[in-house]
Amino acid sequence: MAHITINQYLQQVYEAIDNHEGSFCAELLSFKHPHVANPRLQLASPEEKCQQVLEVPYDEMVAAHLRCTYAVSNHDFVEAYKCQTAFQSHKEENWKGKGKLGDMLEKAAEQLMGCFRVCASDNRAGIDDSKKWGMLFLINQLFKIYFKINKLHLCKPLIRAIDSSNLKDDYSMAQRVTYKYYVGRKAMFDSDYKPAEEYLSFSFQHCHRSSQRNKRMILIYLLPVKMLLGHMPNHQLLRKYDLMQFADVTKAVSEGNLLLLNEALAKHETFFIRCGIFLILEKLKIITYRNLFKKVYQLLKTHQLPLDAFLVALKMMQVEEVDIDEVQCILANLICEGHIKGYISHQHQKLVVSKANPFPLLSSSS
Amino acid sequence: MNNKIASRRVSHSRRRGQPVERDWRQHHNQGVWREVQEERRQESIPRGVCLSMCPIRELQDREAQNLLHRFEVLSGTERERWPRADPSGVVKEYARPAAGKDSTRPSDLRPPAVLLKTVFYLVDNIAASPTLRPWTEVYDFVFDRLRSVRQDMIIQRVSGADCVAVLERTVRFLIYASYRLCGEPLRLYDPRINDTHLQESLSWLLECYTSGKHPNQEEFQALGLLYNLGSSRATQHTMELPERIRSSPVMHLALSVSRAFMERNPVRLLRLAHSLDFLQSCALHRHLVTCRRDLLLIYSHGHSSKNCRFPLHKLSHILALDVPLTNQLCQAHGVEVHGDSVVFSKTTFTEPEAGKLQCAHFHDLVDRKQRDLTVGSIIHGCT
Repeated sequence: MAHITINQYLQQVYEAIDNHEGSFCAELLSFKHPHVANPRLQLASPEEKCQQVLEVPYDEMVAAHLRCTYAVSNHDFVEAYKCQTAFQSHKEENWKGKGKLGDMLEKAAEQLMGCFRVCASDNRAGIDDSKKWGMLFLINQLFKIYFKINKLHLCKPLIRAIDSSNLKDDYSMAQRVTYKYYVGRKAMFDSDYKPAEEYLSFSFQHCHRSSQRNKRMILIYLLPVKMLLGHMPNHQLLRKYDLMQFADVTKAVSEGNLLLLNEALAKHETFFIRCGIFLILEKLKIITYRNLFKKVYQLLKTHQLPLDAFLVALKMMQVEEVDIDEVQCILANLICEGHIKGYISHQHQKLVVSKANPFPLLSSSS
Repeated sequence: MNNKIASRRVSHSRRRGQPVERDWRQHHNQGVWREVQEERRQESIPRGVCLSMCPIRELQDREAQNLLHRFEVLSGTERERWPRADPSGVVKEYARPAAGKDSTRPSDLRPPAVLLKTVFYLVDNIAASPTLRPWTEVYDFVFDRLRSVRQDMIIQRVSGADCVAVLERTVRFLIYASYRLCGEPLRLYDPRINDTHLQESLSWLLECYTSGKHPNQEEFQALGLLYNLGSSRATQHTMELPERIRSSPVMHLALSVSRAFMERNPVRLLRLAHSLDFLQSCALHRHLVTCRRDLLLIYSHGHSSKNCRFPLHKLSHILALDVPLTNQLCQAHGVEVHGDSVVFSKTTFTEPEAGKLQCAHFHDLVDRKQRDLTVGSIIHGCT
């Protein structure tokens, strides 16, 4: 591949197109393929040559690709980007160098949207040849970009498009797994934990056994959601996927140990922030409060619990600067969220809990 | 075969007439090639040479067409038919870029030093002026002229310390204005427009901070977080800042406030808010409405019992409001007050009618912090 002539290359492209070898054709136009290092293909103006061998519109597309390889060899990535507009380089590794990464990604996303619109509006071809099959692939690439540039709200119209499509269950499982992964993450971000759990669980279960790395990525987002719904992972799972960072967090939450939780979050802060789950894990604090207070209730064995008892519990957990007013607020919040059934009597400085099931199961109150 | 390719390359670059490719092939050195590209790019960036706050041409045009602002007019000539321009007071106004209009003429653009001087004039002589009234008009003028300063900066691709100095004052001004003009009628002040420009300037400023050292960075990261309280985007951005910035006292406080908001602990939030300085409180103040509403909602559920009474003075203490205002707030949210006790009930709590609650009535917490701070010191940041 690194030594063929331009004519040989074009011939290969022509044959690939003619024989409907989609994936081989994609390789010949991809930057990951060795042919891009071939100086014989790095041409500033290959249009004529392409026109000689290929038909419209392939001649233009391939010419653009070859101009791109030329530009890249000159390290002019801005020019390269301009050329490679017919193909979506969602692999941002290719675009390092000049120009801000965010701007490049946004422009790439615009191009992808163009392609997407073409696919979505393809009503003429029959179902076998329809461009609609490209929709999910393009959407997944767009999701990757939107997550990278932190513009998640742009995902909404795409999700709507797929929801209303009649092909949604017929795409390949790999594409559907990727799709549900991103939709699940978006739901997490929007604090819709039940749907998030559904999407991410689907993604995890149907992700191919051999893609350990992908399964781990899904798990990183599935775990916090499950924990918020009261389901703690076991150590085997964490060890299998090398996610022991969650071990202390899990232990802390189920024991109601705020001190351990704060320590665990601080210890693995960098990892959690990088994955974008630190803020969600902080929400586990509310669950931890609930578990801690449930212990207080179990210890005192009464339905009229002095507020002071909770203050003592919090102070034992070395929570900074907490006073009785804050204790009331935390308890009131737990009642408001449905995690405790009861009410606070300020005059008696007591929490009065319901005699029946005062601490409902987390999964029912989330 | 290789010769053929080489000669093809030569013919291409000759056809294009670009000196760059020839340079590259001669030097074969990435670094040199990049330098040449840089020089080419520098030559095409407009460089302003206008040394006054307003280009002469614009001053003359506006004077001739009687389009000078009240603050730009030579004192003594205000009542004349054609008021004369005060050269020390005319400031280039914002003009929407339009097709056919060349906004890159060097004589119309002010270099960074002049831009900073202009900002100082706008702050010290206009925004902080004890005599110019009403402040809504002062705000309009300064807002527009600052926008023009930013426009000059964009056209000239100003970056670094010059850019930061201008943007920091702009952000402080807009945050202060968001508080001072809160509650003014829409025809005089539009909070959404202020917000849009504040967010833009803040984003630009935070972008500038990513390269080089900037002594005020912590102050503005904190202001950004407080102003955008509750925004996942802003919070995530803050979490990704280097440890040494996040652990500074000002950021630590802002993060604690943010955490209290995310955990829905309004009691803690309002208590922490006491420690914020005046400008930080201005940035936070619009979220206090939500915060107080959350508190009443949470307590309505948590203390929901017919027989229980909650002391009004206690509630006003944790709401950081005086008793009459607490009463007013409770009424607006359907929370019953009987004498000096509050009766919380989850069934009576309601959201206030749209427009009924005026944020401006509840500015006490912030007001008190202004004390004897001058507008000038607030905007320049020397408090």
